[in-house]
Amino acid sequence: MPTITLDIKYFRELLGFSIDDKMLEEQIAKLGFEVEGIGKDEIKIEITPNRPDLFDAVGMSRAIRNFMHRTKSFRYKIANDKPAIVISVGDKIKRIRPFVAGMVVKGLKLDEKSLANLIKFMDKFCDTFGRDRRKIAIGMHDLSKINGPLEYDAYTDEEFIPLNGNSAEMFSEIMKTNEKGIKYGDTIPPGKKRLYPALKDTEGILALIPIINSDRTKVSVGTRSLLIDITGSSEYYVDKTADMLASLFIDMKGSVEKVEIVYKGEGTLSPKMESKQMQIPISMLENEIGVRIGSNNVISLANKMGYEAALLGNKILFNVPEYRFDVINEQDIVEDVAIAYGYDYIQQIAIPNYDAGALEEKSILISKIKDLMIGYGFSEAMNTYFTNEDTNFVKMRLQEPSNASIKLKNSRMQSITMMRTWIIPSLLGNLGRSASEKMPQRIFEIDLTFMIEDEKIHEDIHLAAVSVDPKANFNDIKAVCEGLLSTLEIKYNLTEAEKKSFIQGRVADAESESVTIGFFGEVHPEVLNNFGIEEPTIGFEINLSLLYGWKASSKAIRE
Amino acid sequence: MHKYEERVLEVLRNNKELSLGELISGSSIGRDKVLWALENLSKRGAVNVRKTRKREIEITEEGKRYAETLLPEEKLLKSLEKGEINVAELKGREEQIGFLWAKKKELAFISGGTLKMTKRGLAVAAEGDQDRMMLNDIAIHGKSRKESMNERIPILQSRHLVEVKEREEIERIRISGEGLAEIEKGAGEEKVGQLNKSIIAGGNWKGIEFRKYDVNIKVEKADAALKHPLTNLSDDIKRAYVGLGFKEISGPIVEPSFWVFDSLFMPQDHPAREMQDTFYLAKPSMLKVKESEIQKRIGKAHKRGWKGDWNMEASEQAMLRTHVTSVSSRQIQSIVGSMMKGKSDFNLPLKFFSMGRVFRNESIDYKHLADFYQTDGIIIGKGLTLANLFDTLIKIYGSIGMKVSFKPSYFPFVEPGVEIRVFSEKTGGWIEIGGAGIIRREITGISRKKISVLAWGVTVERFLLLRENNISSISELYGSRIGWLRSRKMV
Repeated sequence: MPTITLDIKYFRELLGFSIDDKMLEEQIAKLGFEVEGIGKDEIKIEITPNRPDLFDAVGMSRAIRNFMHRTKSFRYKIANDKPAIVISVGDKIKRIRPFVAGMVVKGLKLDEKSLANLIKFMDKFCDTFGRDRRKIAIGMHDLSKINGPLEYDAYTDEEFIPLNGNSAEMFSEIMKTNEKGIKYGDTIPPGKKRLYPALKDTEGILALIPIINSDRTKVSVGTRSLLIDITGSSEYYVDKTADMLASLFIDMKGSVEKVEIVYKGEGTLSPKMESKQMQIPISMLENEIGVRIGSNNVISLANKMGYEAALLGNKILFNVPEYRFDVINEQDIVEDVAIAYGYDYIQQIAIPNYDAGALEEKSILISKIKDLMIGYGFSEAMNTYFTNEDTNFVKMRLQEPSNASIKLKNSRMQSITMMRTWIIPSLLGNLGRSASEKMPQRIFEIDLTFMIEDEKIHEDIHLAAVSVDPKANFNDIKAVCEGLLSTLEIKYNLTEAEKKSFIQGRVADAESESVTIGFFGEVHPEVLNNFGIEEPTIGFEINLSLLYGWKASSKAIRE
Repeated sequence: MHKYEERVLEVLRNNKELSLGELISGSSIGRDKVLWALENLSKRGAVNVRKTRKREIEITEEGKRYAETLLPEEKLLKSLEKGEINVAELKGREEQIGFLWAKKKELAFISGGTLKMTKRGLAVAAEGDQDRMMLNDIAIHGKSRKESMNERIPILQSRHLVEVKEREEIERIRISGEGLAEIEKGAGEEKVGQLNKSIIAGGNWKGIEFRKYDVNIKVEKADAALKHPLTNLSDDIKRAYVGLGFKEISGPIVEPSFWVFDSLFMPQDHPAREMQDTFYLAKPSMLKVKESEIQKRIGKAHKRGWKGDWNMEASEQAMLRTHVTSVSSRQIQSIVGSMMKGKSDFNLPLKFFSMGRVFRNESIDYKHLADFYQTDGIIIGKGLTLANLFDTLIKIYGSIGMKVSFKPSYFPFVEPGVEIRVFSEKTGGWIEIGGAGIIRREITGISRKKISVLAWGVTVERFLLLRENNISSISELYGSRIGWLRSRKMV
């Protein structure tokens, strides 16, 4: 979840009415967000990622004002449709970063607080919701420094003075040496004749997009009019971002004017300022939430969440605000009404029960086998399913069979590279870490193991047990194993086996209906050395999935 | 014979051999009187006292701090796991200590000015440093019980993490022949100690007096074989589900990303799908989605809802599930699918739960695990409401002693979305344990009039930290050290 940090003084200024910290925190919590801290200078709020319109002080204050019924009009409109400036879009950009939107904002009085808020917001928005500027990037320029018309296209290497730079630099240089160039460089496809998205006016480069603006059009405290460009890979989100920004500037008392985007002679105006309308029956709202609300109350709740709403027969007509990205179907509005109503006020209603509950058969049996193992004096261990080749094979004196284990692609931990194929190595790890504890030590585990066989993934449940004791020997584990199998009424034969993890002549396979279902034996001293175990150790492992046919598998346990 | 001497001999006769502590608690006459009696008794040979020079190891404040967290060299290894470190950047005192010992212990080496981990360093990073385990033992037991480790003591001493003190101490006390004779003379008639077959048979016990046992004598407590605390906890949760009419379901761990992400309407550019949060597989790298009809329908819903492309290939990347909601998703699609094909004899509402391990690509420490348990529930029925959802969750988690509350939240697959919180007596605040909501129509592909689906998912380990007082770290749960398993309490 993103956390936003707002200048508390600016935030209170925007709210326009006085409210104490406690009350403010309460209102924000009711909206569904969490205040992580309020200080003298800052307020930190954790916000759900579906509401980028609240990532800044203007949007957040708008939401609080709405919620506290301090808003009279919920509509955001741009009165004049005449474009303030033209952006023509070239052909070459279409394959790289196809979509662009924009606007002009006049009559602003940018001071330190409001400018800092804008810059922080745009960075946060483009890094999170804009997926590190790939999907959406925003540029902001001082309009008075621009000589239109503008051109948006992809260009070969050119030079300009980047924001806060001292001298002109080539695009290619900025990509390599500038902090932003390094961070966002992979949004521009590489190549021998690399083409760079850029915005130009008649005097030259305004921005290398989505990397850095020119120093020439830098916005600073006192700037009164802005040109905003929004570019990206998704037409819908680029346009929607323009709508959201226009709403934001209108709330900042700016006067927003449209720009014309011209491609192949055809012009469209931006921002589009599209607002969706949805009709939802009151009964549906009430039935989804599980409370009786009433039509008047629904309208008031809708207003709290920023929707203009009207009664239309037995339905409510909702006008979805221009700045909202996340309203996809009527369920999204239901949620907003529920939030405004307050989750805490929703009374529990029981669902009638028609059917008996049940555990899976395999769970029941596993639970019984665990009881049996406890009866034999083994405590239950639990281990991670992750392992590495060294633990699973090498320490066990085994060679890894090819193409049989599931391998991780991108683990952050070098000690985690694959999924375990058997459980005994995990248990020996437990014993190795317990060498200072009282003997005898007996542990077991029933859980999953992972193998690939015949191009199929086998997620098999194994039972494994180990026992360490100065007097432990082959017969002790044979006794437990045979006791267990006969208690479970499994018919079995034992055959001498050869397994490198165990002492030769002290290991046996257990077969049932001519399938090897498991093995037991006395662990090889070299294996014990490898795990730091100092006393004789015995163990067994049985494939329960195979034994009970919990899934189609023709696989016998491998050592 | 003085009565204190008699008391001491009495206790010693009932036991082969005792430590001073056991003798003091057994005789219940106080330390000074026991020592006085022992002096007299040993002078006249009635008892044998074995004395040893004893080394006592005490942990220092610094040692204690490391025992509770990590040794400086381990902290350094944790940083090294994230990447190599330039030696020149190691500035703090603790960083330099860590560097010194990592080199000395051959956990790391310098190559071209940067510090890298050795193979041994890798193992230690994963399993923890033996020195710290010993510090831990010393902190808890006042000594290290692993004899083979004693060679490390001088090293810990040199690091001022422990202090070693020597003094003479009575180790064991045993009654001698003279002592026995003395007390027999005093006691007169013989009493019976261990009951046996010949005494029981044929009434031979008649007329025999049994020697008294001291009920307060110290014995070593017996260790029970126990189920793992997570099994006990998950059994409790399962019982709550079954009691409310839920049927258990389970599903694969290894999945194509379709079932973990796409089928739950998580957009393909969602940050949770990125490599750093999710375990993708090198082998197998791709897995086919068998249910191609569902795959196509969901693909269309993505294009419409998220206004962009949807890539089939990306939905077939092999991965480890990041939530058991993949199991719920399979179940929802299978039921909705057969409804769409005309099957209508379902006894609604249908209730299912699953419990299993899920995986997040995290750096492991005491707070974070790469695999942990999650439980998911779904209810498929007509006209289900948030009020129904809240009722169900309060009942399930109330039954394991949790106070539950709800807060709005966001997950791509539910709307309305709910954060589930439980009250922690330990911190006096609400703690997030999972998410819930009503499944989006884009996922079910069926109108609300026909069906709605309530769903939730909750991490399990956190309950254990909440309800067991002596578990401090999540990673202990999967360490399964014998001593830890043996010290579990039943909850």
